[in-house]
Amino acid sequence: MAAERYLLDELTPDAREAFEEHLFDCPECALDLRAGAAFVDEAKAQLPEIMATLPAAARAPTGRPKVKRNHWLAWWRPAFAAPAFAALLIVLGYQNLVTFPTLRTAANQPRLVPLAPLHGATRGASHLAVTADRKHGVALPVNLPLEPGIANYISYSIDLYDPQGRLAWTGVVAAPGEVARGDQPLSLVIPGAMLRNGAYSVAVSGVAPHGERTVIERYVFDLLLTD
Amino acid sequence: MLYSSPLGSAEAALQFHSFDAGYVASLCAGDRRTQDHFVGYFTELLQVKLRSRLQSLHAIEDVRQETFARVLTVLRKDGGLRQPERLGAFVNTVCNHVLFEQYRSSSRSESLDAEGRPELPALGADALDIVVARQIKDKVREILLDLAPRDRSLLKAVFLDERDRDEVCREFGVDRQYLRVLLHRAKQEFKAEYVKRIGNQVPLAANA
Repeated sequence: MAAERYLLDELTPDAREAFEEHLFDCPECALDLRAGAAFVDEAKAQLPEIMATLPAAARAPTGRPKVKRNHWLAWWRPAFAAPAFAALLIVLGYQNLVTFPTLRTAANQPRLVPLAPLHGATRGASHLAVTADRKHGVALPVNLPLEPGIANYISYSIDLYDPQGRLAWTGVVAAPGEVARGDQPLSLVIPGAMLRNGAYSVAVSGVAPHGERTVIERYVFDLLLTD
Repeated sequence: MLYSSPLGSAEAALQFHSFDAGYVASLCAGDRRTQDHFVGYFTELLQVKLRSRLQSLHAIEDVRQETFARVLTVLRKDGGLRQPERLGAFVNTVCNHVLFEQYRSSSRSESLDAEGRPELPALGADALDIVVARQIKDKVREILLDLAPRDRSLLKAVFLDERDRDEVCREFGVDRQYLRVLLHRAKQEFKAEYVKRIGNQVPLAANA
């Protein structure tokens, strides 16, 4: 690129002198430079006319390209659209033939869910190991304490916290009627897709008529996935 | 001699390879074809060298002619060069001296013309030169039209408008290397045509 640097006047004075000394002695480099200089000279002579006669679009942007292309439209080009539609058809086919029937079966038919013995020993801060698999999930018994003397709640809130301590799910149930006595058992069914190995906690809160929430029960358990 | 016989119909066209004692001897002896070659070959190089240092075409022409005159004078006086293969380097050295004198004398507006100097052969354009020039012109136009509009504007900004290179690069969002490569590619494409049409032949259209 010495000839190009020379023609672009990028060489230092010393480098320029040295290059010229070589140039006058080397027919190859001399030819290279002569060709470059002849091109530049002729280009300088022709550029004004070329720039003037070309249409504005081809004449050019005098700076960075300013034409902003809509890249979203590019996805509609056949090269992109055809494979994309093919992939979409495969996904739709899989959903209709496999996923949806499976979900329909799960929703319309009885299924067995392991019930974890969470009550009793697991109340408070004590931990219990609960095993489950991702296919079936797990069912946890949750009691709503309704003994006499407990504050009159209008509803109960059940909050599930994942192993990272984040609130994973919240459910609200209305308080049983006046005639109910004793603990009211519920089943909290956690689908397998939500499960991770680690320590979960379930908090049962009573919601007072004016909205105040009071935690009245907390269950903590270590979940062990078997698959 | 290290140049061949005339090529084709162009009688004065010589295929040049390198300088040697025979070439310098012919030059000293006033051989017309050798002088034509010498003037044509070095005219282009001197013009490229001088135009970056001198503003006026008149000054460039003065220095070029003075350089040739002094080289021929020295060669004839001393009977050649001890290292004839270094003829090119010698021309460059003489040119540097003349250029230095030109810098010094420019303020005094002294002419470099002197009497008693050897007369250089005048080279004129003939029909073949005109055809070659036309082909060269067409090739350059073809290359320029093939360039992307942005690259064309880039060359215009640098060479025609003579704008600051860094500023131009910033404006076009390219670096200096892009500019070099752009010029290199254009030059390489042009060079094939240039060598085919002119190559190392004596450039007959050169102004002597």
